Amino acid sequence: MKYQHLYVVIEHEDGKPVPVSLEMLGEARRLMDGYNRKYSADEKVVAVVLGHNVRKLCEELVLYGADAVIYADSPELSYARNLIDTKVISQIATNKELAAKFSDTSGFVKPRYMFFAADNIGRQLSSTVLAELESGLASDINKLVIEDLEIRHEHKTKGQAMKYEKTLEMYRPDFSGFLWTTILCLDNRNPAIEREYHPQACSIIPGVFAPIERDIARRGTIVDYVPKFDERDLHVKIINRKIVKSAVDFDSKKGVMSFGRGIKDSPEENIKLVAELAKELEAEVGVSLPISKKPFAVSEGASSTYMIPDRVIGTSGRKVAPMLYVAAGISGAMQHIAGMKEAGFVVAINPDENSPIKDECDIFIKGRMEDVIPLLLEELRKRKPAIEVRK
Amino acid sequence: MANLNVAIIVKLEPDFSEGNVSYNADGTLNRAETKSILGPHSAVASNAAFYAKVRYGARIAVTTMGPPIADSALQQAQLLCDADELHLYSDRMFAGADTLATAEVLRTGISKVEGKMDIVFSGHRASDGETGQTGPQTAWKLGFTFLGNVIDYDVDVQNRTVRAKRMISLQGFYDVVEEVEAPLPVFIAIDPSYKASFNTVSQRLAFEKYRKEAKARAQDYKQYLKVFNAQQLGVDPKLVGLPGSPTIVYKVERIPKAKASRKAEVVDGASREQLAKVAAKMYEVLGGMVIK
Repeated sequence: MKYQHLYVVIEHEDGKPVPVSLEMLGEARRLMDGYNRKYSADEKVVAVVLGHNVRKLCEELVLYGADAVIYADSPELSYARNLIDTKVISQIATNKELAAKFSDTSGFVKPRYMFFAADNIGRQLSSTVLAELESGLASDINKLVIEDLEIRHEHKTKGQAMKYEKTLEMYRPDFSGFLWTTILCLDNRNPAIEREYHPQACSIIPGVFAPIERDIARRGTIVDYVPKFDERDLHVKIINRKIVKSAVDFDSKKGVMSFGRGIKDSPEENIKLVAELAKELEAEVGVSLPISKKPFAVSEGASSTYMIPDRVIGTSGRKVAPMLYVAAGISGAMQHIAGMKEAGFVVAINPDENSPIKDECDIFIKGRMEDVIPLLLEELRKRKPAIEVRK
Repeated sequence: MANLNVAIIVKLEPDFSEGNVSYNADGTLNRAETKSILGPHSAVASNAAFYAKVRYGARIAVTTMGPPIADSALQQAQLLCDADELHLYSDRMFAGADTLATAEVLRTGISKVEGKMDIVFSGHRASDGETGQTGPQTAWKLGFTFLGNVIDYDVDVQNRTVRAKRMISLQGFYDVVEEVEAPLPVFIAIDPSYKASFNTVSQRLAFEKYRKEAKARAQDYKQYLKVFNAQQLGVDPKLVGLPGSPTIVYKVERIPKAKASRKAEVVDGASREQLAKVAAKMYEVLGGMVIK
């Protein structure tokens, strides 16, 4: 088989996996369990790790679902650097001897499937690795299915119906949050442009899939790979690395106060009201995705403080789970809901009772935020002393 | 001869600003009714390139792949960065390209820009496609070191190196600002938070001078514009457009409405009495004392 296995590129910080790494392994495990039953028991979930002193991490990954782990250990790989990471991962992905350590590899050329994290590092790494491997990549995926599909496509099949086995269907929510696009990576079977495209690869949104339960009985093969560095590639130097506290802090606040396009009638004033309410509740301010595209003309201060990608709650932003979530003027697109559904208690402020947010909240305050928030603020302030006594 | 040659890849995108954007009743974008504009992230990339002009006298080329009307994105970018050369790669053959096939066109086009290329800039991602893949893939095909999420950069023109600050969020950990040094040529994907600052008098004078020049040039942008079709670019037809795209869009569907996950109590937003209860509930949830 030329194409085998599902390779999962793991991200970690000093040997501790970022959560999405275990989530990807979990989904990979579920998909390949199905694959192993339906098609062949020989294909594996293979975790790929670059770093320094990562042996312990590799053992851990086996407990979280990997059948095999290939790791490259070098001080040069301590922190992510796109250039050498792309080269080392591409070396690993095309190395038959490595795959031979855990499977029968007669004919192995490349992985069948490949997963990356859709975060700052993985999004870029997936792009360059797939440019190097010359295959297709879908970004920001939140659902995956492996199936045999009958495809009729002008270019891929020259209009003929053809069966593509073991095809990875990669579902991607679009920017509106209302549409789901399924992306496929397919070989060109049209004789005029014949070409094979493997691996079928994607980047996966953090927080979407569940890791499997850590199982100390699980066994796997750990393979050490000694990477080949080109001297020139090491010229990209990390001079220093500073941990910073994000100006936007969703994690240590008990409340999140979000707003969406419902601010539209008086954006500047409504943002002020939202900020006041957030202050009263000691909540961090979040926004829906459309707001980060700065759809309203407001003061520079309001725009650069609030209408920014860092505050986006949802599949293309942050996933939060505060005790209290307040959604003002947010209709409740699925992409937003995915970011807040774990909240303890949800209050929505919206004039439209048919908005999807109504099915996702505990209290639905019917009304425009410019009318509701001032009254709510007054009522909250009346009660404020009780809270202070408690402290 | 300029000390530094830079290029920018930009994109004409739907204008998401209120009044220009149009949504269908079901919440999806109404593309026919929505105007197009230079993408916001492309504009940030243009500002970053303009910094290189002011600081180092860089020569700037702005490039895009798109239909003929995409030349308006080039014009808007020129106004921001005082570009010396504008490239439009336009051919029916390019239509429907995925990121890999788009990167192939951009790579070929950038190699046609005058002078030896030192830095290519792109935005963070397009506001419609939102993949963020085209930049790094173009970088890889060019053989340039890719630096993403760049919030600040400076060039050592003598030693041919760039120093850049990158902002990386590590999910579940913290954010990291990383300072890197790399030899030219590099490809920089600029972070949305990037802001150029010009601190010395001579920088501010240069800024004013080029801003004025940019205005004049953008009015007359066609004089700077070169349009290339597939043949003029000399791309391999098998590597561009739909034939050169490994991926296809198999289907588009509405995301099924999830079953109601909560049962909402509906409150009249005009009723003080009801809002008082909401306020009490909010404090209760946050762990405060409840007043009966």
